[in-house]
Amino acid sequence: MFASIKGLLVTVSHIFKKPVTAQYPKQHLPVQERYMGFPVLMWDYQVVEPYCTGCMVCVRNCPTGCMSAQMIDNPLFKEGKSKRRKIIESFEINYGRCILCGICVEVCNFDAIEMSHQHELSVVVRNGNRTNLQDLLAMGKAYQQEVGWKPKSEREGAKQEATA
Amino acid sequence: MTVEQQLDSLELMVNVGPQHPATHGVFRMVLWIDGERIVDVEPHIGYLHRGTEKICENEQYSQIITLFDRLDYIANFNNEWVVCMAAEKLMSTEVPDRAQYIRTILCELNRIASHLLFYGTFALDAGAMSPVMYAFRERERIQQIFEATSGARLMHNYFRIGGVKEDVPADFVQRITAALDPIKATIEEADRLVTFNEVFLARSRDVGTIDGKTAVALGFTGPNMRASGVDFDVRRAAPYAIYDRFDFNVPLGDRGDCWDRFWVRIREMEESVKIVEQALKQMQEGPIMAPTRRISRPPKGEVYVHAENPRGDFGVYLVSNGGDRPYRLKIRPPSFCNLMSLKHMMRDAYVADAIMILGSIDIVLGEVDR
Amino acid sequence: MVAELCVIATKLVVLVTSLTLVVLSMVWIERKFLARLQERLGPTVVGPFGLLQPVADALKLLVKEDLIPALSDKLLFWLAPIVVFVPSYLVWVTIPFARTTAVRNLETGLFYITAFSVLSIVGLVMAGWGSANKYAILGGLRSAAQLISYEIPIIMVVIAVVMLPQSMNLVTIVQDQRTIPYAALQPLGLMVFLIAGVAEVGRTPFDIYVAESEVMGGPFIEYSGAHWAVFFLAEYVNTFTIAVMVALLFLGGWSFPFMPDVAWLSFLWVALKAYLVFLVILWFRGTFPRLRIDQLMSFAWKVMIPLSFVNLVTTGVYLFYGWPKWTLTLMSLAVTVAVIYIIYRRMTWSARVTAEERLARARAYKRVEATDVR
Repeated sequence: MFASIKGLLVTVSHIFKKPVTAQYPKQHLPVQERYMGFPVLMWDYQVVEPYCTGCMVCVRNCPTGCMSAQMIDNPLFKEGKSKRRKIIESFEINYGRCILCGICVEVCNFDAIEMSHQHELSVVVRNGNRTNLQDLLAMGKAYQQEVGWKPKSEREGAKQEATA
Repeated sequence: MTVEQQLDSLELMVNVGPQHPATHGVFRMVLWIDGERIVDVEPHIGYLHRGTEKICENEQYSQIITLFDRLDYIANFNNEWVVCMAAEKLMSTEVPDRAQYIRTILCELNRIASHLLFYGTFALDAGAMSPVMYAFRERERIQQIFEATSGARLMHNYFRIGGVKEDVPADFVQRITAALDPIKATIEEADRLVTFNEVFLARSRDVGTIDGKTAVALGFTGPNMRASGVDFDVRRAAPYAIYDRFDFNVPLGDRGDCWDRFWVRIREMEESVKIVEQALKQMQEGPIMAPTRRISRPPKGEVYVHAENPRGDFGVYLVSNGGDRPYRLKIRPPSFCNLMSLKHMMRDAYVADAIMILGSIDIVLGEVDR
Repeated sequence: MVAELCVIATKLVVLVTSLTLVVLSMVWIERKFLARLQERLGPTVVGPFGLLQPVADALKLLVKEDLIPALSDKLLFWLAPIVVFVPSYLVWVTIPFARTTAVRNLETGLFYITAFSVLSIVGLVMAGWGSANKYAILGGLRSAAQLISYEIPIIMVVIAVVMLPQSMNLVTIVQDQRTIPYAALQPLGLMVFLIAGVAEVGRTPFDIYVAESEVMGGPFIEYSGAHWAVFFLAEYVNTFTIAVMVALLFLGGWSFPFMPDVAWLSFLWVALKAYLVFLVILWFRGTFPRLRIDQLMSFAWKVMIPLSFVNLVTTGVYLFYGWPKWTLTLMSLAVTVAVIYIIYRRMTWSARVTAEERLARARAYKRVEATDVR
């Protein structure tokens, strides 16, 4: 058969399929569960402090060096309310430098940092992507609400109970 | 003197500049043309050079995997695999079976995605504007599977030295099986729409021919070489990982022209679908990571490993001095070596064929320039 | 006298405005239809269903800066869009949409149309030369060669069409198709006219001289803003002209299969057929890759022109011997099918081989064993 006529029939068959366009920004396509968005800090609701102790493992392992942090002695530890001796005082991630690789999440010992589902970050000031501790914690709380986040140790514990 | 010599005409220099809709990246090609024929071609690269090999000398092994994602940014898993293989070979690590299967499935899906992109963009170079949309629709399915598995659509950072980062999600097998059917339909549709179309054949048959011997001499690997009839696929000739457990064909072209390179890639997509189906059936439960230290320290030595990337023969030459960072890491990028044959292929071509020939080699500037 | 002039003036104004509105609708249809072919939506934001998108495009083009190259020949640069644009509108003076609604129906209507549509080729060469850009010159000359070559099949097919009712008057031609449209009598003529018409307008698969993904951008490289809008307008009016010509000459215009008495129904009927032909032209655009310049020239001279002569000969034979109408249909259809089949075999024989034969050819062709590759 005339190959070009076959080609014409192929294209016309696509008219009857539903368009796959999602009208951004009115429609947002959902991201998958494991999606690695920008990293954010988790908040411990029980002790009312961040999970992050400022141990700097993530800062050291970041391939681009986009984070900086400062730790101090934890006042809540002295009062006996928290098990964390040190706590984070200031934390900055430059989202413009972050390559969303997830290495910081892998190496963290305290379940303190997670990759959120945020991926839309345009700013109107130069270097506006440098995010400080308050914003990181706020985004982290939003992420925790969104997915019902539990720290890894609790998740492992639940899994082991299920398999036992 | 002949008439041509008496006329003493100049050759016109045409610059297919770094900004051009058809050069597949920031690539500059300077053509000298005489009327309609191309006399000489001079490729200029380096517009995307990021110093990857030098950065690798200053980063730990777990961090350089992110760099390898960004080399051939369309076949990310394949690059990650080669660098992991290099370090594992040095450390003599035994990668568990399940991790090998996961790696194979993801790499073959990535091959399908890469060839789909080639199908779309090559048809666009020829002038057909619809196949791009169809190809990217199928790529979207594959990329969502990648997102569900590794967390990212393109820059995965999922393979680790000794295995993979975490196990695949529970619906992995179902999702891939469901996604393979529309992909097979699109491949068959590509045949009806583009491959045997008279206009497409007129544009790409006998254009940019290169024979097998010259191809091997110029280092022109991958589907391009197989289109010239050379029966060499690293997965077949020197099987790495678990490729000897799968039953698949290696498609060969007979003339080595643009159409053959296109046809070989379409057939390779079908073979990759076969491999994925077989791997999904054979995959068993098990550990996904070999017992390695947190920070890998390969012993002193050097190793060269190569694998069959969608673009060709991707190799990594790793020199280690026992530390936690590579001493020297040299990458053999297939697109860089494939570009060497550009001049040979454009010998008696028309100007309008220059874009077709460049498109048919399927280069990715990320790995040409590193 | 003055009343007559006023009537003609109003008719002309109505013609020009309605043609511009038609162009706007064609832009919208093109974008929406191509989008649906590709499983996407097309314009949706500007106005309901994106209906005001062409208006936005036109406004954008008008407010853009008109860059004029310093070295260009100013007179040619300014005249070229006009020379391309005016003949496109001129031919519409004699195209009828109903029995009595041409601005001026000429007895030699078809002759007038084919003669005037050739004028725009000069404008393209002027655009190419006046831009002082080597790519523009090459593109302009290429486009001139292409358009001249494809005029010949069009003219031959038009002659064959004229032979049937023995008149060049467009109204007579359409009236003659009351019972049978000429598409049924001369399918070969329809095919040649459609393909040559698409080549005349410069649409895919024959748009290499304006293709963006090629090295040369064609004669329109240096034009921006309102100048380019004029070229754009001319291209769409030309496309609509070809579509309406197919509708009138081959599809029966307003008189097949039934003749409406009311004038505006005739309008609608012809417009519907013309838009259908336009959709077919868009369908070609969405499906086919483009031909190289030497390939389309050889296609014109080696395929289209002989076919148009065959069309003339079959029509002449039919008229000379006074055979019944179905003989012409048969001859024409036989030639069409034969030509399509021959082209298909010739172009695809090297690709449609069986797997075993391909493997055998590959093994015979390669000179390198796998062991040679260390």
